[in-house]
Amino acid sequence: MAGEVIYEVKNVSKRYGSVVALDGASLKLHAGEVIGLVGDNGAGKSTLVKVLSGAHKPDGGQIFLDGTERSWDSPRDALEAGIETLYQDSGLAPHLTVSQNVFLGRERTLKGILGFFGFLAKRDMEEEAHRNLEEVGIAVPASNRSVSQLSGGQRQAVAIGRSVAWARKVIILDEPTNHLGARQAGEVLQIIRAAKKKGLGVIFISHTLPHVLEVTDRIVVLRLGRIVKDAPTSEFDGDKLIGTITGTIQTIKVEGD
Amino acid sequence: MTDSNQLVAKVRGLATNQISILVGVLAVLTIVFTVLEPKFFSTATATNILTDWGSVVLIAVGQTFVVISGGIDLSVGAVIGLSGVVSAYFMVNILGESTKTAPEDAYIPLLLGAIVSVAVGVFVGYVNAILINKAKIVPFIATLATMGAALGLSVIISDGMPIGGPNDFKLISAIDPKWMPFSVAVIIVAIVVAIIGLFLHKAKFGLYTYAIGSNAFAARAAGINVERHISKIYMLSGGLAGLAGIYVYMRLGAGSPSSGTGRELDAIAAVVIGGASLMGGIGRMWGTVLGTLILFTVQSGLIMAGVAPDWKKVVVAVLIAAAVAAQTLQNRNGRK
Repeated sequence: MAGEVIYEVKNVSKRYGSVVALDGASLKLHAGEVIGLVGDNGAGKSTLVKVLSGAHKPDGGQIFLDGTERSWDSPRDALEAGIETLYQDSGLAPHLTVSQNVFLGRERTLKGILGFFGFLAKRDMEEEAHRNLEEVGIAVPASNRSVSQLSGGQRQAVAIGRSVAWARKVIILDEPTNHLGARQAGEVLQIIRAAKKKGLGVIFISHTLPHVLEVTDRIVVLRLGRIVKDAPTSEFDGDKLIGTITGTIQTIKVEGD
Repeated sequence: MTDSNQLVAKVRGLATNQISILVGVLAVLTIVFTVLEPKFFSTATATNILTDWGSVVLIAVGQTFVVISGGIDLSVGAVIGLSGVVSAYFMVNILGESTKTAPEDAYIPLLLGAIVSVAVGVFVGYVNAILINKAKIVPFIATLATMGAALGLSVIISDGMPIGGPNDFKLISAIDPKWMPFSVAVIIVAIVVAIIGLFLHKAKFGLYTYAIGSNAFAARAAGINVERHISKIYMLSGGLAGLAGIYVYMRLGAGSPSSGTGRELDAIAAVVIGGASLMGGIGRMWGTVLGTLILFTVQSGLIMAGVAPDWKKVVVAVLIAAAVAAQTLQNRNGRK
């Protein structure tokens, strides 16, 4: 398998009021590795994603990036450290164009006094957005088209392409193949492979288990806020994965039971 | 795409382009009113329309940013009154100027008064931002509260009476009543609107405003400080209302607590007629500028045609409904 441990959480917990959403979860991600994060609704996937992406601060536990302990005050912190997150269905602003979305939060401004006032280098960004998306292997729509005019598959491709183009270390994809047709989902999986080849660590969250089995190197199963299984994908088949997720296959002895 | 297809697309684009539709509406209105009352087509009418336009377009421009970001600012009308009253109070009681000040000596106090007026507006905008960001009150209620507070304060400060102060009415009158319907004040307003328009359509400030109104979640995920940007938007809206405050002061030669009452609804109407969506993410500066012009063309036209002024509200209501319906239809076609 791939390189060094690039991103790691140790023993992280998160509670919302009296609800324990995440209970001492630990996870290691290597460079050039694709991890599948699976679990039933309410298993704690979203919470773990929010902790990993800096959207929520864990109540306990540690976060390491490249071996150094870090703590994220906001998604911006994590973003600046090289961690890109693509949230389920909400990665893009539909009223903005493709290139505006690709560069959102990282706009290129004009030189000189106009740049000081935040005037944008529109042409530059349109060309570069096109190039960036092409590199990741996406059949890109015109950069100046509004995202609301794209099909669901095209939108998702732009969203993922944007994340992969910007990510320097880790990319977190929350349900990226949701609502996509078979061919479009296949394209998304292709982009994930491209990200892996780039040496990024990829965390892939999905309910679509065949996709998880197809593209990941390792699968981490969450149940009731705990990581109940963390093993190479080759150890799973469809039935075993479902059994582990639902708990019909007992994986660990739960203390106190 | 072949050349002829391109041409068809261009023509269709022009026909469905909101700006050209608005220009068309304005032209039709002008023709209709001129037929009803030939005197309508005159420099005097243009002067009236532009003078009204000057105050409301400022708050409509602020409202454009607010609405694009998915919010609403009801406080701007009351801010016109409050900022006018406070700056009049400032010029009269602190600078010691009076209505007797000669026009040519009024410029410095007016400039200082304008700064005070804008500062009052920015402050109210800041309060709006705190209510929205920190207290998590929805913009409608937050700005309804500051609207009430601003209205009350302006009555308290002024004792309910207009405060007369220094002024030069030449600044707000047409440069040449025969040929040039613009006043110096209107030209300044137009320049301010143009500059702010560039910030909406060409700069990061505007882009973030669209992004937040389009998908605040995506904006935040992209690293945009959404709360801070929203604060800036409401402070801009308040500041422009303050500028409108000194404009209205100059028209009256006095700061009057009720001078902006109801103007927020004119501004919202203009923004919606101009094609902005109250759901956020959509709106153009040209739309707002034309929407405001249409509003006052209707008002002047109805008055000159001898129709009871209350009909203005009915006509504006029809225009709003038509604008929203057109937008809904366009969205439905666009999604196909």
